[in-house]
Amino acid sequence: MEKDMQTIYQSVLSRGFSRRDFLKMCAVLTASIGLDYSQNSEVVKAMEVSKRVPVIWLQLQDCTGCSESFIRSSHPKIESVLFNMISLEYTEALSAASGHQIEEARKHVIENYPGEYILAVEGSIPMHDEYLMIGGVSAKQTLLETAKHAKAILAYGSCSSWGGIPAAYPNPTGAKPITDIIKDKPIVRVPGCPPIAEVMTGVIAHLITFGTVPELDHHGRPKAFYRHRIHDKCNRRAFFDSGLFVESFDDEGAKQGYCLYKVGCKGPTTYNSCAEMRWNGGVSYPIQSGNPCIGCSESNFWDNGPFYTRMAKIPGTQTTINPEVVGAGVIGATVAGIAVHAAVTAVMNKKSDKSNKKDKVDTSDKGESREEDK
Amino acid sequence: MSIPVEKSKHEHPETRIAAKERRPVRTREDGKAYIKVYVWELPVRIFHWINAATILVMIVTGIYIGKPFLGPLVHEDATAFLMGWVRYIHFFAAFVFTANLLARWYWVFKGNKYATSNPAQKAFWVETWQTAKFYLFLRNKKPHYTGHNPLAQLSYWIFIGVGSILAMLTGYYLFFEPQPESLFGRMFSWVPMIFGDSFMIRSWHHLVAWGFIVFIVVHIYMAFREDWMERNGTMSSIFTGYKSEKKLKGKQHDDESTKE
Ligand code: SF4
Ligand code: SF4
Repeated sequence: MEKDMQTIYQSVLSRGFSRRDFLKMCAVLTASIGLDYSQNSEVVKAMEVSKRVPVIWLQLQDCTGCSESFIRSSHPKIESVLFNMISLEYTEALSAASGHQIEEARKHVIENYPGEYILAVEGSIPMHDEYLMIGGVSAKQTLLETAKHAKAILAYGSCSSWGGIPAAYPNPTGAKPITDIIKDKPIVRVPGCPPIAEVMTGVIAHLITFGTVPELDHHGRPKAFYRHRIHDKCNRRAFFDSGLFVESFDDEGAKQGYCLYKVGCKGPTTYNSCAEMRWNGGVSYPIQSGNPCIGCSESNFWDNGPFYTRMAKIPGTQTTINPEVVGAGVIGATVAGIAVHAAVTAVMNKKSDKSNKKDKVDTSDKGESREEDK
Repeated sequence: MSIPVEKSKHEHPETRIAAKERRPVRTREDGKAYIKVYVWELPVRIFHWINAATILVMIVTGIYIGKPFLGPLVHEDATAFLMGWVRYIHFFAAFVFTANLLARWYWVFKGNKYATSNPAQKAFWVETWQTAKFYLFLRNKKPHYTGHNPLAQLSYWIFIGVGSILAMLTGYYLFFEPQPESLFGRMFSWVPMIFGDSFMIRSWHHLVAWGFIVFIVVHIYMAFREDWMERNGTMSSIFTGYKSEKKLKGKQHDDESTKE
């Protein structure tokens, strides 16, 4: 591990890049961390002195989607992240080693770099241990063990941030986000299913450049990437405000690129960078390509479906309803109830009138129809 | 007109619910047997109609925002601002609604005794139960009320009270959601801790709105029914403020018994 003694700058040079390349890399980094260009010199300085940081990447109840996204980062290029900035010591998806050998590598990092390494977690934690054992150790145990001496923890993906798909109804494994298990470490939530590659590398780059976690919002998400809703930066927003909507995926509106609100777009409730950073190196993102946002970076997104309808969730449940349909039904039932009540009232009224007439009771016009129970 | 004979076959006690009486209730002679009681003072009536109007506007615009049921008249007119205007009207109505509600809360402490309600007493709940039985056509000991019966008061607590607060908290959070750093954004930044994420807050807002619609339907029925059964001018009272009460022997009207 002698390479780890090199600074990031040195390791860039040793790979045959020039200082000019290094400065370019820093400029891209500044932008991708979500910083102002005026802060570029700070990034350069930091990269000149900081060392490569060991990273342990745990994959728990996941689908490897987050790893797949991560390795497609284009700025910073994944190669530069993997070879210059971090030293990925443990990952199931990418390491050549496996079995005891790789488990040893993990323990080695924990022992030799306490308080220095970064822990990235992909996937949620089952509350019932038997659902996930790695090398004979339960997922929860592995997580606690590895988190204990970590400098900071990155919750990559909606699974580790919110519970994600494993925690969707009926949640057979009792899946929980890592934030429910680790309370005493700084955790950065980087939700998304998967998160945007550049967001993933941007967050880790920030950690390495400044040695601190980026500014977070109330939910622990980096503000640089999760400050805005998709809806606020959406390229179809003008159509929303105009009231021009796609009604079905084969209509004229769909061809014209109208707003996807009525076909279930979750953009108005989804915090993510898709509308600005886009995917696959900035090529496009779902809404641009004609598919409504499914809200994959929000908690419980799987239970907030169906994806192509506008729904409302019943508080305290994992059930969504169509509020207008249910509402109209409830109103119908109410009106029916009222009709019955009015009918009974009228009948009771007649009866009491009759009995009153029989009793030859005074029936002044104001008094006659007073309710008997008055 | 002659004094109607009490038709009740079983006991109907006087209400025991205490209400703060800041000033004597205004009354007016109405024939020999009746008296007109000034129940709803002007601020209460104004509140009622502004409240009704803004809620109605917010229901129609709100349903549109949730399920845009119309396109702009000229289709494909991308310069149209239909959703924009509907949202604007919704928000405008929301601010009027809020100001109106605040004024009404002030009047709770300034108005006559019919403008207040105090459920923190046993009699309130006992009589709510009696009133509920009355409306279910069961034997009951419901007293007669000039103002709102306690069941009606309870429904206002739930819908106009709690319902409005839920709608306002979730609504204002959503309104300021794009500007969390602003003063108002920060004022409502704690809302997600209670209601959940953006999607949940929207769901709450939406469901509360349907709660209001149910309330309106029942409320209108009850008001008409009261008018029909009692012939006491309930419907006109929300315009004029006066309700008719029959004179009671030795008493001005039932208000005597509710004095603290
Ligand atoms: S967040 Fe989505 S992409 Fe990432 S591991 Fe979970 S299911 Fe897979
Ligand atoms: S497509 Fe979705 S995010 Fe874009 S404006 Fe329409 S509702 Fe909002």
